[in-house]
Amino acid sequence: MEIEEWAASSGGSSDSEVTAPDSDSEENCYAYGDLPKLQFRKDTSKACWKEELGMAEIVSNKGRMWTTTGIARGGKIYIFLEDILFLAEIGALHLLDDEDKCIPLEDIYKKVAEGVGGSSWESFEVYRHLKSLGYIIKRHGVCWSVKRDKRVPAFVEGESGSQRIINNGNADLSSITATTELFSAMQITELRPVFDVYPPNSKFRKSNPGNPIFVLCISTGSPPTKKQVEDLEGKCDGVSLKFCYVEHGRVSFFSFNQIELPVLP
Amino acid sequence: MGPRWKGKGSEAKALAVPISRSILDLQASLIESNSHGMLSGCSVVLASNAEQTDLLNQTCFGRPIITVDKDKQWFQLTFEEAFYLCFSLRCINIVGGDNSVKTKDQLWEYMISKKPSFPTFFKAYSHLRIKNWVVRSGCQYGVDFVAYCHHPSLVHSEYGVMVFSEGNGNDRLRVWSDFQCTLRLCGSVAKTLLILHVNKTCENAIASPSYLDGYSVEERTITRWNPERCREDQVIVETRKF
Repeated sequence: MEIEEWAASSGGSSDSEVTAPDSDSEENCYAYGDLPKLQFRKDTSKACWKEELGMAEIVSNKGRMWTTTGIARGGKIYIFLEDILFLAEIGALHLLDDEDKCIPLEDIYKKVAEGVGGSSWESFEVYRHLKSLGYIIKRHGVCWSVKRDKRVPAFVEGESGSQRIINNGNADLSSITATTELFSAMQITELRPVFDVYPPNSKFRKSNPGNPIFVLCISTGSPPTKKQVEDLEGKCDGVSLKFCYVEHGRVSFFSFNQIELPVLP
Repeated sequence: MGPRWKGKGSEAKALAVPISRSILDLQASLIESNSHGMLSGCSVVLASNAEQTDLLNQTCFGRPIITVDKDKQWFQLTFEEAFYLCFSLRCINIVGGDNSVKTKDQLWEYMISKKPSFPTFFKAYSHLRIKNWVVRSGCQYGVDFVAYCHHPSLVHSEYGVMVFSEGNGNDRLRVWSDFQCTLRLCGSVAKTLLILHVNKTCENAIASPSYLDGYSVEERTITRWNPERCREDQVIVETRKF
């Protein structure tokens, strides 16, 4: 073979540029007055805000979304702030206070801003992004459902140490809220698993959800170091991990995959 | 993402002449002719005969220098390439400006003095080469190396490689925009970003190349996940020849 042929073809310029389909479409810039408005649905569900839990209890459920949203406890469905805000924004849910009055969107935004129930604006943005695409999302460390009759001894770790609470049905809820309060008390920069993500599935059952396709960690500061990735993988029991961060309303997802390149012939 | 072969018949050609065989042939030929490379700045300049020219090109060691010299072909090698031929394959010697053959330790010291990251870069380079991957400079893609599973004329490179050393943590990809930038660059040329984490097992590990065995290399790819397009429940695992 001519030397030039080999030489030329071994130059880096032989790798052609491949333009991958650009998933970042042009941002629509709305003029004031052009902003689209969503309509309230005909069948709007109702949930009652429970201050002590930092969650809402569904009192009237309409639509098929309840097979994939909220956690089941003692025969009822409870939802976190991200579920509430998502559904409230699209007009699928009315959030009610103790006196049955509708809590306006502004107050729900305030609760997220305050980090009530372990929520955060960034985790809500991530939730909304994936939920809108049909993924099924649950907070990491919380079960989809606990059967009605189960007496669940729950560990509640407060500042004063651990207390053991045995209380029919509500024990698990208190432990959830204690965990979420613990989350919101953690440093903002701490990297931790936030959501378990399941694929879109019309036959999803909370009683038999299967394994999530990945556990999602949300980074608010720097990207994770190798050690942080390894530590988190260790905690997630073989389920694959993804990392995401939110900047200016855009959510980006990354995987850090351990591989082993094959030995070639 | 498996190998992207260029055109029909490339994969067959590659199977017919594995890189490992070409390297063995190159090694034998260089030993027979008692080849010497010349240290020059951050490169090593090497003369080759016709057979060696073909083999150097086939295995992607060095870049040919086009000259009028009819008797010899000249190649320039990077530190990693030269040191691999000299130290790992033991098929060339390298002389300094004073025409004396450099010992491995002398070469090592010299290369580190020119390029402090040389030990980890060399470990990463040899980690890939030992597995018969073809490794070239990645600077035009904003990465350290690019790795091919065979000759670049037959296949597109699969990986854009960055070398991270322990202790330096993430001084290469420090902030999220670094990730975005590098991934976008890799993605636009259809390469997966591969990070090679080189871990030194002891303190004075750069004192001599004999410590290289004590380094370990971990491989991690970093990929973007696009929730709009991904259906992970349909992953098919293929056994690859390459």
